[in-house]
This record gives sequence, structure tokens and C-alpha cells, in this order.
Amino acid sequence: MILRTRGVSLAYGSESVLRDVSVGVDRGEVLAVIGPSGVGKTTLLGLLSLAVAPDRGTVELDGTDAWAAGESERLALRRRVGMVFQEASLFDASVARNVSYGLRVRRSWPERVRDGLRSLVGSPDAEAVDSAVREALDVVGLGDSLDRHAGSLSGGEARRVSFARALAYDPDVFLLDEPTSDLDPRNTAVVEDAVRRASQRGIGVVVASHDMHQAERVADRVAVMLDDGIAEVGPTERVFADPDDERTRKFVSGELVY
Amino acid sequence: MSPGPVAALGALLLQFPFDPVYLRSIVRVSLYVSCVAVALSTAVSVPFALLVAFTDFPGKRLLTSVVNTGMGFPSVVVGLVVLFAVSNQGPLGPLDLVFTTEAMIVSQFVLAAPPITAISLAAVSAVDDGVRDAARALGGTRLDVALVTVTEARYGIATAVLAGFGRAISEVGSVLIVGGNIVGSDGVSRTRTLTTAIQLEARQGRYETALLLGAVLVCLVLLVNAAVVRFGGGRVRR
Repeated sequence: MILRTRGVSLAYGSESVLRDVSVGVDRGEVLAVIGPSGVGKTTLLGLLSLAVAPDRGTVELDGTDAWAAGESERLALRRRVGMVFQEASLFDASVARNVSYGLRVRRSWPERVRDGLRSLVGSPDAEAVDSAVREALDVVGLGDSLDRHAGSLSGGEARRVSFARALAYDPDVFLLDEPTSDLDPRNTAVVEDAVRRASQRGIGVVVASHDMHQAERVADRVAVMLDDGIAEVGPTERVFADPDDERTRKFVSGELVY
Repeated sequence: MSPGPVAALGALLLQFPFDPVYLRSIVRVSLYVSCVAVALSTAVSVPFALLVAFTDFPGKRLLTSVVNTGMGFPSVVVGLVVLFAVSNQGPLGPLDLVFTTEAMIVSQFVLAAPPITAISLAAVSAVDDGVRDAARALGGTRLDVALVTVTEARYGIATAVLAGFGRAISEVGSVLIVGGNIVGSDGVSRTRTLTTAIQLEARQGRYETALLLGAVLVCLVLLVNAAVVRFGGGRVRR
């Protein structure tokens, strides 16, 4: 497994959000984390993105316990994970500046100062935009939108740019929180296709979603979250057709309503 | 409206009743003192605003109230306190700053810092949490996240700088007390600014001359505003 949690628990005050959760994703695999709203899927992604420390248990990237590592090593680990939030939250800048952000923060300070001065002088030279930025935007079908301002994008386009922003620096693992909620069918299809293409490139993808049909369409394996833990993990087809866990059976059949 | 005062001001403009060297020197002193004070205030206030906005500590609300109160602090009182500080008996006495532009910079720094801090604090606090989370998730360090926050809040921070500059350059009371409104025997301003010159002209009954200096001051403020808007990147596009 490229990224995994082992027995992680997390509480906010006296309220337990995650209890003894062990889950992981392989390179080139799509894992869907499904469950009702408010069950802790976003919190689990926060742990997997190494932004939040668990109260108990470990989060390991490529076998390294992130929270046993020093701060600089953890930053290096964190930079191997791409995270796309439920909200696009784009920067007040061009699409190119947004998508190149992850690449820029990985550069040395002299290079960044030079880049900053260049952008002060005028609009970024289209030829100078990194090929990774173009490729990432091509994946989400926005290759011709480099110079558009983020504020001029539709909601669906903004979400696709936020996807490209995390894809541009070629992470080992890609985490997506409800990537297609509120999107129209066309934008949903583009994002799901981009998820498949990312996994074909060898990236491990974790998709948190309350949409079971989406999980069936894109995921190799499914982890079902109910209450504050994982009820069942297994191959998508098997979990939906013949779940081991009784609560999972009720959830996927729609009998268990939250 | 009677054309009398306007015509008088027009005639005065044509006469230009100032020694150009004198006028240039008071403009230079005004700009030098205000720009240095505002630059120093910005360098201190913006990081301070970031720290206050995104750090929890005991007394945070009290500190915010003190900063907000500082926006209305009487400039004459600031001038008196700074004069005491730089006088022979004061803590900065050994620096021999009485009636110097440096003392004026200190008093304008004290006056400009509260509005720059308060408006910057409001601007950086208004930056969407999601944007900062995204910067962190995309691999940003704490410094990167702070830079993204400042970039997102740049229009508010530009407004803060303009408010601080407006307070500094229009200030009379404290610069008069700590600067002394001095012009050298060569007719060149040492610590006289546009505002203290206006005050002097008005006190001597030369209202047209005072008005003309006022027009120069307004033009300077407009120029600085235009420059900040230009280099601040114009309007917010959302």
C-alpha cells in the first residue's frame, strides 16, 4: 500500500469522529470511501493528506509513519499527496497561476522570486507555462483556459481546475472529497474520466463520496464508513453484490437511512 | 458661488508665490517622513495582523480592541509622548532626535500603525479558510500559506496602506510638536511639512497661499492613491 492508516482514532473534544480506522490504497488503484454525510469521510481524508494528526494510530506513506517523522520530512511526504476539497477554493489569479501553484512552492526561492517578478511585469508568457500545467489542464478538458481568471469560471470548471491543480505536480496519491457533488452530468463525466486516467498513471486515488453509483463506476475497492468507523472494505463488485457486514448490506440496499 | 475666491486662487497660481526650492523641500520632507513611516508601519503591521488573525492566545480580543482604539488616538498626545521619548530625559534621548525628521517618522509610525493593522486584520481574516487549506494541501509551508493569504487580501491591505498614508501625510499636531516646523537660513525645509506650512500660512492670515499648499497636498495624496491602485493590481475580480 502506498498510503494507509493503521488503527487511527480522532476525537474533537469528547466527540469521537473516527475510531480504530485501518484503510489503505495501492498505486494505480481507486478506493472509494462511501458513507452517509457527516460520518467522518472528510476527516479521514484530512488524516490521509497528513494535514491532521490522529489521536491514536499511524498514517503511513510508502511505509514511513508521517507523524513519527520530523517536520521537514513530513512536509516532503505531504508534498507527495494531492488533495482536492469539496469546494474549489481557487486563488484570485489566472487558471495558469492556480494550476502551477503546487509546482512553484516546490521550487527554490531564487526561482520563485524570478517567477514573481516576471508576473509583476505582465501576464505570464504562455510559452513559459510549465508543460505539466498544460497536461493537467488537458486531462480536465480546460487546456485552452490558461489565461482565464479564476473568477470567470463556472462552478464545474472551477472544480476541474482544482482537480488539475493537484494533478500538476504528479502526486503519488490523490485524495478527492465529494469531487462531483453539485456538478452537472457533463462535468461529472470529465472528473470521473480524469480519476481513471490518474489511476492509469499509477497514482493511488481515494474518492470520498456519498454517491454509491459513482463508487460503482470508478472504484476498484470500496470502504464503507458507518458511524465513526469502517464497516467493510472490499472489491467494489463484491461489496455491492454480497456484503459481509449486515449494516453495509442495509446501507447499500437503502434500508439503512441516516 | 461667487467667482471671487476661485479667481483669486487662479491669479495666485499664475503668480506662484513660493520659492521653488522652498516648495520642493517641504514636499520632499512631507513625502520622505510619510513614506518611510508608512513603509515601516506596513512592515510591522501586516505580519502582526497575520499573527493575530491566525493564532489563538489569551487576550487576543483585548489586543484587537487596543489596536482599534489606536485608530482614534489623538495625534497631539502621540506627539507629546514621542517628544518626551526623544528628549534628553527620555529613553531615546541619547539618539539626539529632537526636532529631526527621524522623530517625525517615529510619531507618524505610531499614528499610521493602528489603521494599517486594523484594516489589514479585517482583510486577512476575511480570506476564505478553504483557500488557505488549499495552499497547505498543495504543499505550501507556513510561509507559503501566509503569502497566499496576503496575496488574496492584497486589495484590503492596499486600502490599509492608503489609510495609513492618509493619516500620516495629513497629520499636523504631532509633527509640529516633535519636528518644530523648522526651515533653515538657506530657505530649505528641515522639518517643515506641507501641513505645518499650511497651518503657519493660515495663522498669518495668508489664506490663499494656505489653500494653494492644500491643493498641492491633495494632488500628492491623489498621486499616491493612483500609484497604489495601479501597482496593487486594480479591482478585485471574482
